[in-house]
Amino acid sequence: MARVYVSTVVNARNDRVWARVRDFNGLPNWHPAIAESRIEGGEPADKIGCVRDFRLRNGDRIREKLLGLSDYDMFCTYSILESPMGVENYVATLRLTPVTDGDQTFLEWTAEFDCAPERETELVGNIGGGVFQGGFDALKRAFGG
Amino acid sequence: MPHVVKSTILDAPTDAVWNVLRDFNGHDHWHPAVATSTIERAQAADKIGCVRRFKLKDGSELREQLLALSDLEQTFSYCLLDTPMPMFNYVAHVRLLPVTDGDRTFWQWESRFTTRPEDRDGLTQMVAEQIYQAGFEAIRHHLKEAA
Repeated sequence: MARVYVSTVVNARNDRVWARVRDFNGLPNWHPAIAESRIEGGEPADKIGCVRDFRLRNGDRIREKLLGLSDYDMFCTYSILESPMGVENYVATLRLTPVTDGDQTFLEWTAEFDCAPERETELVGNIGGGVFQGGFDALKRAFGG
Repeated sequence: MPHVVKSTILDAPTDAVWNVLRDFNGHDHWHPAVATSTIERAQAADKIGCVRRFKLKDGSELREQLLALSDLEQTFSYCLLDTPMPMFNYVAHVRLLPVTDGDRTFWQWESRFTTRPEDRDGLTQMVAEQIYQAGFEAIRHHLKEAA
């Protein structure tokens, strides 16, 4: 099983960062790679089990299911139902932890999945260095560091 | 039950920070409140269950027991056995996590304890600032000197 772990620090309190990322239908509002998103069946975006159907700027479509969301622990866990990436059993978690020293936020974005062995390095790089770090960079810009 | 949680970011890889923190008998090398440290019964400082005896700069003594230590997770937990302060059931956890963005370290230090209601606020403040936050600053300084 392939694993991705990417983490960063954003210069804002965790409740402010969480307000920005907790919306399971809100990726286009903060992630530069995402063009549009909708929740299937008109369900609320914080209903566990809801499915987001979103389109990347490169045209790819991905469907993901919300598995867990906690406003108390500030994490969001989801799985991929359909994507052109060639991954199976993909589960990812975005987690926020306060940095009390300086009122910052520590963000961790992890994923586990199965894939063809020869594609593992490429996929780990694209997901970690591309998608996750790309989102972090946008958050850092939005919160000034 | 008071719950103290403090965390910081250190500008060093987790391995370098862990190398200093994992020595349960080494806090006298860096923490400003600790004058001397010894492990009782000449046990190894990474033997689970070992007891360290601190003499603090103010002359008081305390004993703490190592409850858990993981080089894989870069975490350790310990409890207070004896202290001159009215603190009971004190259990603390230290954990390091990598900040891959910049090869830095997220360090969290937390504890819970019980005490008399009139000592609650004072002890919470003391643990948070004089032990944990002061420890953060001391390690930051210690790593800079070692570099």
